[in-house]
Amino acid sequence: MSSTVIRVNGKAPAEVSQHHVPMLPPPVWVDGSPSLRQITDDIARPLEMRPGKGWWICFSIAFAALLNLGGMVSYLFAKGIGIWGLNNSVGWAFDITNFVFWVGIGHAGTLISAILLLFRQQWRTSINRSAEAMTIFAVMCAGMFPAIHMGRPWDAFFIFPYFPNQRGPLWVNFRSPLVWDVFAISTYLTISLVFWYLGMIPDLATLRDRAAGGIKKFVFHILSLGWSGSQRTWSRYEIVSLVLAGLATSLVLSVHSIVSMDFATSLLPGWHTTIFPPYFVAGAIYSGFGMVLTLLIITRYTMNLQNYITLRHLDKMAKVTMLTGMIVSYAYLTEFFSAWYGGNLYERYHFINRATGPYAWCFYLMVLCNVVTPQLLWFRKARTSVVFLFAVSILVNIGMWFERFVIIVVSLHRAFLPSGWGMFYPTVFDVGILVGSFGLFFTCFLLFIRFLPMIAMWEIKGVVGHGAHKMALSSQEQEEPVSV
Amino acid sequence: MRVQLALLALLGAVLAAGAGAWQLSRIGIHQGYSPAQPIAFPHKVHAGDNQIPCLYCHFAARTSRHAGIPPASVCMNCHNVLEKQTVEIEKLKEAVDLAQPIRWVKVHNLPDFVYFNHSQHVQSGVACQSCHGAVEKMDRVEQVSPLTMGWCLRCHREHAKVPVNDFERAALSLKQKQKPTAGLDCASCHY
Amino acid sequence: MSDSDSHGHYASCKSAKERLVQIQPQEAPAYWKSVAELQNGPRSSGEFPGGLPAAGQSGTTRRDFLALMGFTLAAAGLSGCRAPVQNAIPLLVGSDQFVPGVANWYATTCRGCAASCSLLAKQRDGRPIKIEGNAESSLFGGGTCATGQAMVLSLYDDERLRGPLWQGQPAGWEELDRRVAESVATAKAGSGSIVLLSGTINSPSTRAIISEWRASHPNFLHVEYDATSLSAMRAANQESFGLAVVPHYALDRARVIVGLDADFLGTWLSPVEFTRQYANGRKPEDAPSLHIQFESGMSVTGSNADLRIAVAQSDLGPVAAALLARIARRGGHAGIGPIEDPIDSRKLDAVAEQLWKHRGESLVISGCNDVTVQIVVNTLNVMLGNIGKIIDLTRPSLQRNGDDQAMSDLVEKMNRGEVHTLFMLGVNPAYDYHDPARFLSGLEKVPLSVSFSDRRDETSSHVHAVCPDHHFLEAWGDAEPVATHFSLAQPLIAPLFGTRSAQESLLKWLGHEPADYYTYLRDYWQKNIFRRQRGVPDFQSFWDRSLQEGLVVLPLLHPATEPRIQGNWRAAVHSIREDQAKHRQAGSADRYELDLYESVALRDGRHANNPWLQELPDPISKVTWGNCAAIAPATAAKLKLTDGDVVRLRTVTQQIEVPIFIQPGQHAQTISVALGHGRNKVGRAGQNVGVNAYPLLRVKDGYRLLSAREVTLEKTGRSEKLATTQTHFSMEGRPIVLETSLEELHQSSEVGIEPALPTLWAARPEGEHAWGMAIDMNACTGCSACVVACQAENNVPVVGKDQIERIRIMHWIRLDRYYSGPEEDPVAVHQPMMCQHCQNAPCETVCPVLATTTSSEGLNQQVYNRCIGTRYCANNCPYKVRRFNWYNYTDNPQFDFNMESPLGRMVLNPDVAVRSRGVMEKCSMCVQRIQLAKNVALQGRRELADGDIQTACQQACPTQAIVFGDLKEPNSRVAQLQHSQRRYQVLDELGTRPNVSYLKKVRNPVRTT
Repeated sequence: MSSTVIRVNGKAPAEVSQHHVPMLPPPVWVDGSPSLRQITDDIARPLEMRPGKGWWICFSIAFAALLNLGGMVSYLFAKGIGIWGLNNSVGWAFDITNFVFWVGIGHAGTLISAILLLFRQQWRTSINRSAEAMTIFAVMCAGMFPAIHMGRPWDAFFIFPYFPNQRGPLWVNFRSPLVWDVFAISTYLTISLVFWYLGMIPDLATLRDRAAGGIKKFVFHILSLGWSGSQRTWSRYEIVSLVLAGLATSLVLSVHSIVSMDFATSLLPGWHTTIFPPYFVAGAIYSGFGMVLTLLIITRYTMNLQNYITLRHLDKMAKVTMLTGMIVSYAYLTEFFSAWYGGNLYERYHFINRATGPYAWCFYLMVLCNVVTPQLLWFRKARTSVVFLFAVSILVNIGMWFERFVIIVVSLHRAFLPSGWGMFYPTVFDVGILVGSFGLFFTCFLLFIRFLPMIAMWEIKGVVGHGAHKMALSSQEQEEPVSV
Repeated sequence: MRVQLALLALLGAVLAAGAGAWQLSRIGIHQGYSPAQPIAFPHKVHAGDNQIPCLYCHFAARTSRHAGIPPASVCMNCHNVLEKQTVEIEKLKEAVDLAQPIRWVKVHNLPDFVYFNHSQHVQSGVACQSCHGAVEKMDRVEQVSPLTMGWCLRCHREHAKVPVNDFERAALSLKQKQKPTAGLDCASCHY
Repeated sequence: MSDSDSHGHYASCKSAKERLVQIQPQEAPAYWKSVAELQNGPRSSGEFPGGLPAAGQSGTTRRDFLALMGFTLAAAGLSGCRAPVQNAIPLLVGSDQFVPGVANWYATTCRGCAASCSLLAKQRDGRPIKIEGNAESSLFGGGTCATGQAMVLSLYDDERLRGPLWQGQPAGWEELDRRVAESVATAKAGSGSIVLLSGTINSPSTRAIISEWRASHPNFLHVEYDATSLSAMRAANQESFGLAVVPHYALDRARVIVGLDADFLGTWLSPVEFTRQYANGRKPEDAPSLHIQFESGMSVTGSNADLRIAVAQSDLGPVAAALLARIARRGGHAGIGPIEDPIDSRKLDAVAEQLWKHRGESLVISGCNDVTVQIVVNTLNVMLGNIGKIIDLTRPSLQRNGDDQAMSDLVEKMNRGEVHTLFMLGVNPAYDYHDPARFLSGLEKVPLSVSFSDRRDETSSHVHAVCPDHHFLEAWGDAEPVATHFSLAQPLIAPLFGTRSAQESLLKWLGHEPADYYTYLRDYWQKNIFRRQRGVPDFQSFWDRSLQEGLVVLPLLHPATEPRIQGNWRAAVHSIREDQAKHRQAGSADRYELDLYESVALRDGRHANNPWLQELPDPISKVTWGNCAAIAPATAAKLKLTDGDVVRLRTVTQQIEVPIFIQPGQHAQTISVALGHGRNKVGRAGQNVGVNAYPLLRVKDGYRLLSAREVTLEKTGRSEKLATTQTHFSMEGRPIVLETSLEELHQSSEVGIEPALPTLWAARPEGEHAWGMAIDMNACTGCSACVVACQAENNVPVVGKDQIERIRIMHWIRLDRYYSGPEEDPVAVHQPMMCQHCQNAPCETVCPVLATTTSSEGLNQQVYNRCIGTRYCANNCPYKVRRFNWYNYTDNPQFDFNMESPLGRMVLNPDVAVRSRGVMEKCSMCVQRIQLAKNVALQGRRELADGDIQTACQQACPTQAIVFGDLKEPNSRVAQLQHSQRRYQVLDELGTRPNVSYLKKVRNPVRTT
């Protein structure tokens, strides 16, 4: 957008702001008004120097977890699903819980980069890149679980309609939400990937130009697709990003709606509910922002980017978290209300059992994390205390994981026929694979912040003081006055 | 120039992928499999030249799921009285004298998880040749058909008539007497 | 032939060839394996035996022929795209009787217990693979019990001895015969006696052999000993009627049945027969009989009673006496003093009222092994005029001949060293005698002890010689379960091992040459049975027909004379009263009584190594793999005990440690423990599973009472996990098992089928048939025969204790048991639950790969090779009947049961795929039987008739509670039942449209106030 402008008028920022202050308050989303070169340096630094001790520690932990994942999944394939705690009553537990959890995480990225882009929320600029990366890694983790939860993973290709097929025309079951999932998730992954990569091209070009030479330069050369930065490139580039944003926006809503139909279309009390799609989407955004908060709070310290990911960013995200959190709480209420009001024997028993049964503690943990916690964010103090926000973000993640656990396991363990009731107890492999999925996620993310610009340089340059007036013109609505 | 090259490469890739997929889909299909047998038994001579009906030797096919390879005793029914001698017939007689069963090599191997019943097909008037090919012309038996589910279904679809209303059902059960319908239910073969 | 799992190799085929090359008749058994592979060949891998130990010489021509049926499909691994080399080895000599792949059925007689039910056994290419009841039998009908169904697996038990043992070492038959002959000779000369200690023997020919022994050896003694005996009843009948017999009952003719701790629907005397009669007598559409049961622990019988009254073991006698007092008063008999009612008098009045109202068509049965009680019961039946009408003493039952006193005398003799040679046939006293130490010390003093046991069990591991008997499916034999009802047993397979039938051994040692039991049996039948019948002129055709039908019923030898009551029953009542008083003084709150009962699956313990039976949930407690002490909820609360807490039960002399199970309906002062568990020498499956409770039983004037008094209960602090298959026993007010009352039923008349709920799905094309099932909740007693039948028919794997604790049982049909009413006096229902074959199947819509679909004939079909195992279907199944293969249960050392061993896999049904790891499975309504019946109809060029197809569960059910058929055929039984006013469908409000419907349970309460 405005980068073009920045590039044409190379005046000192001071003049610009002087000149324009009476006109409009300049929206500034970067502290300590660094020079453009300074910005590039700050953001490119981690990529060009050896990583610090902090990074290595995090990475070794994450990688260990990843190795553990590899080991346990191999053992799973060798032995069978029996090594999990599942049984005839509870056919899904950690596997699908993790799946829904990770898909949920995956929502923030696209939301931030697509929807906020359409709404022209400038503050997204410094967080969208890492949020998108997070999305991709989260969806990778999510995609893993449906694959490994199969009894015969080597036949996983059965769920795609494939050709040539010696079994005679033999189709997948288009009535099955699991098939919808396959399409939804794969589409979502593709679009997010494209969106993410496209957004990086100008920065890759920058890195290409900065690179001294050798393999690094070559790689960036290839990746940046011969980006020239000409006027024409920029204008087309922006159109493309807008179009992609439009596509991605619909996906944000579709994916988790479809995931929620895995449950909504079945007839189990606790699953068979019409409010699931919106409820799940809200929950997804809620958990997604939770995870973004966690990641950014860590990285802004480890990579000392406090100037770029400012308290004002955290404040914004906290507000979104609170809002979605309250939507989720509302959904919980609705569920209980309709269970009581609907008067369905099984439904009613299920919700009583949810709050008083053997898994009640999960339910109350969930309520604590998803209903009570967000309410604390009403206070500005809370929203601006980094430590507190970090704690909140962790709680949010825990709460959302347990929400899925409650929905899946508590519904299954006491279904229609009391003779079929039974408890689920996780085994070391259930837990290990959950931990492993975090390992996969963080390994990817750490590699990302090590090798790719984790903040969109070209975009953030638009929201420092220099381009303020241009930015103001391009911006449709008022930015709130900067409070520093 | 560049563009053409790119397109060419693309085309190549697509073709390669297609060929690969085709090959993958052919795994486990042994069409044309024709192993050597311990005794070079010529179906051509027996079923072809001498017009011995298939079910004379493979009598089990009438009542059993297995067509069954005839016991040596069945061979001896004729070869006791025929004076023609060949090396192969010698082998047969030796086996009988030594009371040593003959280890034939199985030609048609169905997958493990499908139930196939010869009698059902024989009784429904399916000719042996329609699956086994013109065995009476073969010196050494060869697997003619792919024996894949798609191949089975092609025939089953032709002969399946799933009635939709009572009239059709009535008509069908009349027809049943002459010609039974082939099942299209999974459970017709998989259980 | 091959090492027959998917990755078989040429090598194995070669080695196989070596074995093949030399075929001699005595090598025959080597071919059994190949026969096994014959049918299995094309089926799932890992299913076929890799080889069998050589077996002994086989006599008859049929066996030779069977032995020659070599035919092998050696699966060599499909490696990549290389063509798999499979070999096909045909018979050398064909036969028109035998077509590879076509099953033959032979009539025989069950030896699972002394009830000796008539059976039809399915032989597929020379391999018995399924047992069914013989519908020709007027006694037992086509039904069987769970144990009977499982007998075919015990044939393929790895623990069976491969040949005879001398001093624990493998030996030759010649050697053993020599040694025994010597010993017998010396014994004949000397003073020591020759003793045959056996279980109940009701085989006429065998009894003939025994009497030959008696004749030729003056010092020969035959002692019959049953672990759970009825000898007190025989003694009582001796005293009351002068006949030392166990009568034959006709429950179907009784209008009122009063049971005193006799589990006649579960294990007592002849459960299959009784269950059948019971159900016939209780059809709600006509006047059903009334059943009142007095018992301490909840039994199968009690759970079916109209009125179940929990009483302490010590009160059973007094209850009988109290009833007698009332009846006697009405009957105008004097001489019974006042008897203090052990329980609520109004209940006793009500029961007496009912009995008296139905004089001559009522029945009182007691299972107590206590002479006084039995005499009182006899008197009751006499005063009620039931003798000769309901109770038949002229055609007695021969199913329990054990004599406790003879046994204890024998043990004493042995200890005094007066026994020189001891043969033991079908007994295991070292395990089930109440004083095993005493028995073993006696056994040591016996110069030559011989056991015919098929394995090294507790007893046979202490004897000099073990001469393993055949399994009954390998042997000739006959039986006379009830006087004048004869049945034959014939071998279905050449002996797998170097065993020899006990009768043959006895004949040989008797000096018969050739000692061929078959000839002996045939002669015996010619001389005795054939003579007594008129129907058939020449013996050959009589013999053939008897073999084919398996049974013969003869007229009575001499006209029966009605037995008159004699003996002093007042004395009996008196002693009961004294005993009661004595117990009252001794009794205190922390002293409990023990009630020991035969377990439905393992019976007296002889079947402990049968994994099917170990894994069969107890019909009441639903506990598998082991026994536990049933304790009343109140008692458990008082002692702060929960399920699985291990307690120490201590009698005066003995003690056991056993986990408790809180049993609704249990009498507060009585603790029930199942017998038959805790074998410590039986084999891999049954080794040390559960606790042996025999040592606790109490002997009263020479009779083994299956109970004990003055038992103390101590906590051990330990706790075990009980492997139960059902953890929640309340229906939570859900409409799952519906009930109706007799009045309601008789008021209203037939109703049509209510219209099904509307559906959004498009109508699916319908085929010729619509298979459906109707299950009569009123007929089902919960005996669980269907469960094992299904397991045998459909290759359902055994998963073991640990997996069941994890709720992973694989049974396709289960019996849900729910309680309603107060904990201390609940009402129980049993509900068979299997795939309901819904027309709008919830499982179907969610499967991503269409692995489960509804067929045009209304079957919900599961395609294993399409299934990828997402388990979504199981989650969405409201009936929770789908079963997932969590592991590979075949050929997997982790699951060391029958499907792990090549021998055990011989029992598998070649027409049903063995499921691999990671796929879902469930009841298929025995689709293989449906397809077979269609094929047979096609071959006969006819339409399918109702009854052509019987599912395994339906066939096994002694009460015919399960009816299967074509719903489209308006006259089929199942279609008729759709119009019954009792009809309902479980959870049909979900719109699943099941093809299985249930018939409501009918309650017929007894007014006790």
